[in-house]
Amino acid sequence: MSGGSSPSSRRNSFNSLSKDLDLPSEQGCLSIVVLGASGDLAKKKTFPALYHLFEQGFIQSGEVHIFGYARSNLSDDGLRERIRGYLKGAPEDLSEFLQLIKYVSGSYDTGEGFEKLNRAISEYEVSKSSGSYRRLFYLALPPSVYPSVCKMIRTYCMNPSSHPGWTRVIVEKPFGKDLDSAEELSAQLGELFEEHQLYRIDHYLGKELVQNLLVLRFANRLFLPLWNRDNIDNIQIVFREDFGTEGRGGYFDQYGIIRDIIQNHLLQVFCLVAMEKPVSLKPEHIRDEKVKVLQSVNPIKPEEVVLGQYDGYKDDPTVPDDSNTPTFASVVLRVHNERWEGVPFILKAGKALSSKKAEVRVQFKDVPGDIFRSKKQGRNEFVIRLQPSEAMYMKLTVKKPGLEMATEQSELDLSYGMRYQNVKIPEAYERLILDTIRGDQQHFVRRDELQAAWKIFTPLLHDIDDGKLKALPYEPGSRGPKEADELSARVGYVQTHGYIWVPPTLA
Amino acid sequence: MSGGSSESSPLSGQNSLSSLSISKDNELSSESGCLSIVVLGASGDLAKKKTFPALFHLFQQGFLQSGEVHIFGYARSNLSDDGLRERIRGYLKGASDEHLSQFLQLVKYVSGSYDRVEGFELLNKAISEYETSKNNDSGSYRRLFYLALPPSVYPSVCKMIRSYCMSPSSHTGWTRVIVEKPFGKDLNTAEELSAELGQLFQEEQLYRIDHYLGKELVQNLLVLRFANRLFLPLWNRDNIANVQIVFKEDFGTEGRGGYFDQYGIIRDIIQNHLLQVFCLVAMEKPVSLKPEHIRDEKVKVLQSVEPIKHEEVVIGQYDGYKDDPTVPDDSNTPTFASVVLRVHNERWEGVPFILKAGKALNSRKAEIRVQFKDAPGDIFRCKKQGRNEFVIRLQPSEAMYMKLTVKKPGLEMATEQSELDLSYGMRYNGVKIPEAYERLILDTIRGDQQHFVRRDELRAAWEIFTPLLHDIDGGKLRSVPYKPGTRGPQEADELSRRMGYVQTHGYVWVPPTLSKV
Repeated sequence: MSGGSSPSSRRNSFNSLSKDLDLPSEQGCLSIVVLGASGDLAKKKTFPALYHLFEQGFIQSGEVHIFGYARSNLSDDGLRERIRGYLKGAPEDLSEFLQLIKYVSGSYDTGEGFEKLNRAISEYEVSKSSGSYRRLFYLALPPSVYPSVCKMIRTYCMNPSSHPGWTRVIVEKPFGKDLDSAEELSAQLGELFEEHQLYRIDHYLGKELVQNLLVLRFANRLFLPLWNRDNIDNIQIVFREDFGTEGRGGYFDQYGIIRDIIQNHLLQVFCLVAMEKPVSLKPEHIRDEKVKVLQSVNPIKPEEVVLGQYDGYKDDPTVPDDSNTPTFASVVLRVHNERWEGVPFILKAGKALSSKKAEVRVQFKDVPGDIFRSKKQGRNEFVIRLQPSEAMYMKLTVKKPGLEMATEQSELDLSYGMRYQNVKIPEAYERLILDTIRGDQQHFVRRDELQAAWKIFTPLLHDIDDGKLKALPYEPGSRGPKEADELSARVGYVQTHGYIWVPPTLA
Repeated sequence: MSGGSSESSPLSGQNSLSSLSISKDNELSSESGCLSIVVLGASGDLAKKKTFPALFHLFQQGFLQSGEVHIFGYARSNLSDDGLRERIRGYLKGASDEHLSQFLQLVKYVSGSYDRVEGFELLNKAISEYETSKNNDSGSYRRLFYLALPPSVYPSVCKMIRSYCMSPSSHTGWTRVIVEKPFGKDLNTAEELSAELGQLFQEEQLYRIDHYLGKELVQNLLVLRFANRLFLPLWNRDNIANVQIVFKEDFGTEGRGGYFDQYGIIRDIIQNHLLQVFCLVAMEKPVSLKPEHIRDEKVKVLQSVEPIKHEEVVIGQYDGYKDDPTVPDDSNTPTFASVVLRVHNERWEGVPFILKAGKALNSRKAEIRVQFKDAPGDIFRCKKQGRNEFVIRLQPSEAMYMKLTVKKPGLEMATEQSELDLSYGMRYNGVKIPEAYERLILDTIRGDQQHFVRRDELRAAWEIFTPLLHDIDGGKLRSVPYKPGTRGPQEADELSRRMGYVQTHGYVWVPPTLSKV
């Protein structure tokens, strides 16, 4: 992630932006508690995100304290030293930020630690005499401990009713392994917190171009007549990694690529691509539309699934020799509604492939009455490259420059690295934490959304777990099983051979 | 127009014309034998600056070959072959001495007047000597006459060509004549000229050049519109609010005011260049790429244009225009005009096409700007930020871009304008984009008339503009003064606004570049 730079209006940005965005501006105390503070996720993602928000003035010294909580026996300075290496930025900012951080040690399933935590938070709060008391708990923890930790928070650490304010809890995926376990987890957490207090993070929703999907689709007149089955032939949502499990095979093997990537990240992107226009930007309206399109998805057909497992995956001693866990999957979703019937959405993800990228590729139908004989040259596509190097482009047929009236493929493109050279594109986590502080849940997963998502994938996952569907072997560094390309071709994707999009640059 | 582009020889330099693959792909006949290219007006500016350089570029790229082509310059000046060669040498750029020398050896000169027989008999004799020297009984004799001349002499010159210089019927081949705009001053004069030329030549022998049709991105319009599925549902009144076709120059008449004053900006730019672009933007899909099918659709859309309303016209004249002593003090000739065309058909009714051109303005550019309607049910409150636009920048620096609303990068869900773009200078870095003239001359040699103006097309164009031009000439419409270096009369921007054009303030398209380069 790129290092930050302090914007000139750092101290004032929170309040002025609140006015612009019609979000309530809250004064008083904000306590941010990072549970699992000594773990990798907290060090690599959570604390850096908080630091970036601090640098940019979204959280301010006078209003915020940050508490790390974990089982490790650390002092305040011990925690600060442990995370310092993960925070990039100006020394004075860094020093000021670290002074906001305190550490509380305790276990995740007994009351003593949480009583200590509550006492530490309260001491901070009463040292301020006015305003609201807001408490944000970030669970950088494995989901197995979510229920007990939430019970403890509920019992010992809720914001006092003597002051206005709120308590909110951020939880990370995975939210269960299938419909039943997800529902069980939702029920447990649902007994403890109201839905508006729960923020289920899918960090993909915090990515710049994923967030842009709403704007692209609903603020641009030109997409209005295009975005339907009459014009679009197929859509691919792809996530590729060029590395394997790298020592975490045992953990991965409990989940597989569908639970790890497709059922959550790619399905969220699918929602934003396929959903109807929300009534407004209110989080509930947006998530209503997501749920609606998820509920329109037909059951997945086994013949429209290709699973793969890369050669060498089982060499990891923590992976069972008889593992059928897919490291690659290509799944076709069919939406049964007026807009999309007949248009396959191909969700594809894999590890140890030939490249690292994530993109949405919308392929348009062929030109009817083609007078240029350009069909062999390829179809129009609108591609959103989520990573690496955020970009979007429209693949077009143009006249080949020169003296011939020949056609070739070219593109209208927007490469963020070029167009927004001096603009810092935020990391997903800082964006989502800020949304939580503001109470904007549109980029978080709602309970019924989660249920609808698991309903789509649970039958398939059970069939895989039971061995009814087999993962096909593929070579590391390849495109994945060739059956996946066959599946895409079978459902209508037309590859444009000989054309590769090259980000614009000067020679 | 803009000067030449950088030149590098394509890989297939000497072989491209003869290549069967090209002829096969293009379904155009491949002809061998003699090709005689006659440039009438050979000593004039147009020939030196445009015609001979274009022929040279074609030669360099292998489309004209030494063994098959001879070039004859014809003018009244008393010159020798070498005299003509020396005169044009300075205008031929980007060549190795060897190439240049080879090309110049193909060029011969014949002196004669434009209205008497002797010169044309000499010319015919020179051509015939070349043709018979080939001793190629199986080949064709093809004769191309390029009239780099004022239109007033077209009739007499064409009469002479018809009488004395036609390709002999003893061999296969053809005679073709290229003529430059202006093709008349109004409907009557254009019809008169067409009739005179029509008596002498068949339509398929006449190639009326509008060099704008030879521009790379103008030619691309057909491909963009009809080879891209995504434009199919967009390109109509349901989605498009207005279209602007604009041509701006940041200089005035510069000493040629007297000549310009006989025509004005509408006859000089709008009635021909911009109207041709309008056709390509607005027309229906042709049956095929055959020239007749394309021009059928152009004529169809021209015939659908309603009479121009005075209240949808703004004409201007820049301050200082009449300072030129060759311009009459009472001149009403517009140096700026903004004209709204209304198309009465199913696709376009209600969509104004704003054709705008001017001299001595604040910038030099030519572009097509297709503005889409507002996004209905706007949930982002971004209407104040601007509408989608598809812009084709014809010059300078060919480019096209789609102006979009995107999320502003950062932590806010705010919107801003950005664009998906294709800048030819960047995307086709290293690719030579041909000049319009060389493209059109090659088309003539191949007999492809799609980029030339047909007689009925010309008539339809004049039918649209003649009433307006007569009203201007008759003083019924007055030119509004404007300052040089401005956008033109403010009334023109008011007209655009009235037509529904929504300007996006605070946004300026900047061609992509890396700052660290």
